[in-house]
Amino acid sequence: MNPKAAKFFLPALIVVVLAVPLVVTVPYYLHIMIMVFLFATMGLGWNLIGGYGAQLSLGHSVFFAIGAYTAVLFVVYKRLTPLVGGVVGMALAVVAAVIIGLPCFRLRGPYFSLATIASGEITRTLLLHFKDFTAGANGVPLPFHGNDPLFLQFRSKAAYYYLALLLLGAVFMIVRTMEHAKIGRYLAAVREDQDAAESLGVKTAWVKMAAFMLSAAIVAACGVLYAFTVGYIDPDGVASVNLSIEIAVVVIVGGIGTLWGPILGAAVIVLLTELTNMYLGAVRGGASLFLYGILLITVIILKPNGLISLFDRFWPKKQVAHGTTA
Amino acid sequence: MNLTIFLQTTLNGLMVGGVYALVAVGLTLIFGVMKIVNFAQGEFVMLGMYVSWMLATYAHIAPYPGLVLVGIVMFAIGYLVFKFLIIRVIGKPDESFILLTLGLSIVLQNLILMIFGAEYLSVSTPIKDAALHLGGLTLSAPRMIAFLVALLLVVALTILLNKTDLGRAMRATAESREVATLLGINPVKCFTIAFAIGIVLAGTAGVLLTPMFYVFPGVGTLFNLTAFVVVVLGGMGSVPGALLGGLIIGIVEALSSTYISLDLSQLFTFLIFLAVLFIRPSGLFGGATK
Repeated sequence: MNPKAAKFFLPALIVVVLAVPLVVTVPYYLHIMIMVFLFATMGLGWNLIGGYGAQLSLGHSVFFAIGAYTAVLFVVYKRLTPLVGGVVGMALAVVAAVIIGLPCFRLRGPYFSLATIASGEITRTLLLHFKDFTAGANGVPLPFHGNDPLFLQFRSKAAYYYLALLLLGAVFMIVRTMEHAKIGRYLAAVREDQDAAESLGVKTAWVKMAAFMLSAAIVAACGVLYAFTVGYIDPDGVASVNLSIEIAVVVIVGGIGTLWGPILGAAVIVLLTELTNMYLGAVRGGASLFLYGILLITVIILKPNGLISLFDRFWPKKQVAHGTTA
Repeated sequence: MNLTIFLQTTLNGLMVGGVYALVAVGLTLIFGVMKIVNFAQGEFVMLGMYVSWMLATYAHIAPYPGLVLVGIVMFAIGYLVFKFLIIRVIGKPDESFILLTLGLSIVLQNLILMIFGAEYLSVSTPIKDAALHLGGLTLSAPRMIAFLVALLLVVALTILLNKTDLGRAMRATAESREVATLLGINPVKCFTIAFAIGIVLAGTAGVLLTPMFYVFPGVGTLFNLTAFVVVVLGGMGSVPGALLGGLIIGIVEALSSTYISLDLSQLFTFLIFLAVLFIRPSGLFGGATK
């Protein structure tokens, strides 16, 4: 693709994506697209700390669960709109990020990943245990009262489609701005060499914490939107290790530390798992996750910079010079 | 507090702890020599269980007599996994190992799910219900055998590491890959053997578990997290540490599920895990390897 064609790529993509619900009316297909948007958004959020900051978190389901449970339980117990409950959920996720981050950032490499897995499992165990409040393993269904925008309830999947797209667009712009701002460069310094960055006066602990907090808020927002799209949450669905892993894998497969990687990764992974489930699920349980694992291994071995690196030669040189494709 | 119940619980925990120790010793050996965390260790326990189940179902070889056979199969599997996958990420950053072995664990779990389905399988052996009675305490035979065999294997591994040339070569590689190479040791060969032995230990733990545990595709995840906890508790890379850590976690789990709450027993395991990571990341036996 020459630079001129690249200029048309983004507007064309936006037009196509906006037009999809006008053409596609099967709710299941729209649901798949919503999941692509949510995973892309979470990938962008995870990438802030996992990619740009190179801290491989495997505990981001904590934030997803906090967002989802806070917003839903406020509706169930207090009849409070998720527009407020969701913001409270995001704030709580940021607090959780500080509580997890303070001790965990002292750890490096596999120790950090293991500690984040443990944080996720502790959250899931607590959600399962406090049955009186969270309904435990039974999960919480959201009572549906018909169209009610204030409570994020719509008969049509298209509404959720546009909400998820809006969230993705907003987070994309935030991350794109950050990439070129000071914090983005500090994060890059942390990724390259934490000790060197520290000795050059970068407050690495603060930089990592700021990225972690923002990434927690983004993933919590996705948790809120997921809960209201699906209308049901349970600990194994929103607080599992597998969810934490999938958020990370979306970014790894797409391209870690890149702006478009999480979006490409979400599209590939969600479409792969949903389509194989649709066509093979009834015949062979496990086929979709099997392919997902194979894809992850293949990318790690053959394309460690992710599938986005396949497109490197199509982009104008300028992109590479920014150092965003480390 | 009823003393008999307390002692019985502790004893049960100790016996299960022996199996945890075996899984964790494999993990810590791989970490010690190669400096990688194998996130698929639990899946090799699961594979050991399935191989043992297949031997019992199709060849009528009971789990315990089949132990050596399963060990050989697991060594071959470990060797092949190393040759085709692990070797490709040696020298790459930590994340590559973590993600590769995570991918491997997903692939293995779902491959088994596709082949055998999600049913809970079990192996029936006459020894299953046998038990030893000591005073008011009961020692079930499968638990006791699992504990003793696990202990025996850990001792054998310690002897291998300390008294043989191969073991010394592995320890030298663990200490410093560069220096080991200068001494004429082939580090990749050490990596291969350490990895394969680690897989054999996981697989044999699986065999020891089959008489007392259901066999199903997701069973490995139960052991994955516990094994991490045990390894960190004992000190990453320390074999005696993993043994002691396994016994401690086994007892903690048994006591907390009896006296506090069954569904919170894992919580205490993780809290201990985090506490050790933050207070003493080198573990109980830390310092042996960094």
